[in-house]
Amino acid sequence: MSELEIDHLFKSYGTVRALHDMTFTVRAGEIFGFVGSNGAGKTTTMRIMLGVLAADGGSVRWDGAELDLESRRHVGYMPEERGLYPKMKVGEQLRFLAGLHGMGPAEATAAVELWTDRLGVGDRRDDNVEKLSLGNQQRVQLAAALVHHPDVLVLDEPFSGLDPVAVDIMSTVLRERADAGVPVIFSSHQLDLVERLCDRVGIVQSGRMQALGTIDELRTTDRPQWLLEVDAPAQAVVAAAESVPGVRARVAPDQTGGVLVEQTAGTGADGGAEQAVLRAALALGPVRGFARVRPTLTDLFRDVVAQDKAVEPPPPPTVRRRFGRAGVAS
Amino acid sequence: MSGARVVWMVAKREIKTRMLTKANIISMTVMVVLIAVGAVVGNYFLHRDGEAPVLRIALAEEVADLRPDLEGSAEARGLTLELTTMTADEARAALDPDGDGDDEAPSAFLDGEPAAPRMLVATSPDGETADVVGAAVRSFATAQQIDELGGDPGAFAAAVAQAAPRVEAVGEPRNDQLDGAAFGVAIAMISLLFGALIGSGSMIAMGVVEEKTSRVVEILLAMIRPSQLLAGKILGIGVYGLFQILVLGGALALAALSLGVAGLDIDVGAALAWLVLWFLIGYTIYALLFGGFAALVSRQEDIGSVTTPLLFLLFIPFYATMFLVPSDPDGTLVRVLSQIPIFAPFMMPVRDAVGALQPWEMPLSVAIALATIPGLVWVAARVYQRGVLHTGGRMKLADALR
Repeated sequence: MSELEIDHLFKSYGTVRALHDMTFTVRAGEIFGFVGSNGAGKTTTMRIMLGVLAADGGSVRWDGAELDLESRRHVGYMPEERGLYPKMKVGEQLRFLAGLHGMGPAEATAAVELWTDRLGVGDRRDDNVEKLSLGNQQRVQLAAALVHHPDVLVLDEPFSGLDPVAVDIMSTVLRERADAGVPVIFSSHQLDLVERLCDRVGIVQSGRMQALGTIDELRTTDRPQWLLEVDAPAQAVVAAAESVPGVRARVAPDQTGGVLVEQTAGTGADGGAEQAVLRAALALGPVRGFARVRPTLTDLFRDVVAQDKAVEPPPPPTVRRRFGRAGVAS
Repeated sequence: MSGARVVWMVAKREIKTRMLTKANIISMTVMVVLIAVGAVVGNYFLHRDGEAPVLRIALAEEVADLRPDLEGSAEARGLTLELTTMTADEARAALDPDGDGDDEAPSAFLDGEPAAPRMLVATSPDGETADVVGAAVRSFATAQQIDELGGDPGAFAAAVAQAAPRVEAVGEPRNDQLDGAAFGVAIAMISLLFGALIGSGSMIAMGVVEEKTSRVVEILLAMIRPSQLLAGKILGIGVYGLFQILVLGGALALAALSLGVAGLDIDVGAALAWLVLWFLIGYTIYALLFGGFAALVSRQEDIGSVTTPLLFLLFIPFYATMFLVPSDPDGTLVRVLSQIPIFAPFMMPVRDAVGALQPWEMPLSVAIALATIPGLVWVAARVYQRGVLHTGGRMKLADALR
């Protein structure tokens, strides 16, 4: 059972609480999207996972065992602040990093050629990194994360600053690694991309995981919405829809003349309220459109952020576990 | 993967990226060439006067008895004498100042009475010739007089040669006279050491900050320990610095040998060996300080704020050695200071060179310096570990040590 478990992480910088009981799991073969506003705690979580930062409490486990220096050699990491030696040749640099990951010279050379070719920077292997454009440096940075054939991929904002072609290459590579059984976790502010690419998504806010699940799970709501378009005055459509019990309606804010219908009280299985609403609409005039409105990740994200602002943060925990002590029960 | 292998890989990168750069290869070549040119030019000036000049004197037959005295007197002055025999007329032609100025022409012609000869010169006698001829004539006349008095001129000469006082001192000779050449070589060596320590110290500081500014430190620390990264960097730059000091120090030593400094009774090989030992000890001490402290800042332009105090730690022992050791190489202050690890690398080689060391002093200072290193490793690793991921302004030393 190859799972990456992030288990009750706590971290404070002085009086600022960066992580508060951060807990989630990334399964093998899964792309996990890590979403949250700036300063929500994504980078801190990733840095703790890589041992670059020490947590105040909690642990990170891979395959049931604490992720230590030795097992971290099998993790591919792309930090938020990109980092390569500017005055070192691309190929030499990647070979050096592959060596630190434990690869032999021949194996490292082959892997460097494979990934630089794959990521479209094969002809720049003998150039110093500082000579490359930022986009190409980014590709080299990804190559640095992939060069040692990692068992786990942790990428902080891998898509920022990439052109559409590079985004496609990056997406393909991530999917391919996941299909090979590697758990992939990446953070991004490009929510459409996260929505398209990720198997599961975690939305963080103020250092805690606020929503976690597949996109479909997150979209699942007990208050489904439809967009209703009828050749009739909007106010009349609203009135007709609200005549159905447990339904509220309002004119859609996007000025298309449509009406948003929301089921506020459950009427049992699907095929309840919306059928009654449709019948009422048909009685008013010809129905041009009637479609389920699914919230986008952006909507979900806005909801989470809005909720968080409404709720007071809970008091800090009284018991804090030291990093590394929370071992696995054997 | 073993820690030692990781450290070596980091060190190897440092050596490779520093040693194999075009700038380094060019600057090292230029320096070696400059030293070689210096040696050749020095040789030319030192040995230009090395060949004894030839003094040419012509004699008439009647003063042939002066020959041994002329030869002896020229030899005593380190001159090569070439004697020719000619007549007065030939000599007049050869000495004619309006003549064709033959290089082989004699500078003087002697004839007449050997004890009071006539010296014929072109215009005026040159000092050397007059000196040699005068001494020869005096010695001839003295021998003649002794002979006439029934004495033995050979025994007289031997007795005069031996007439010198025998010096005996009541106390031991005092050590306040420095051997200038030995002191000079020692100062040259510690200057080289001083330069090498400043150079490699700044290189370490810049390397640490480069990794911080380029943020590469974050991917490195995801797979290796901060102490391994620092150790590898210190080892790599140390090997590079040692290479430089060996190439330049060796070139200087060869130049010194070719200039004949070896004749001054200085063991250049031993001086180089001590230089290497003290470079290794001094380098370890200063590298740890530079590496640890540089981690406190995040930008190249802030390096000065941490390296300046460290540079003073280098300047003070260096100048203390230059000013204190020559005047009082075995005074109490110098003895105490030279046991302090930051002073020892500078003071010990110089005191050793001027022979002011008790046999126990050098081993004791080496032992004290070596004993300090583990403590410094601890402090440097701690400061480095705390500082290396800190970004933004300068981190306070107290925060890093806490």
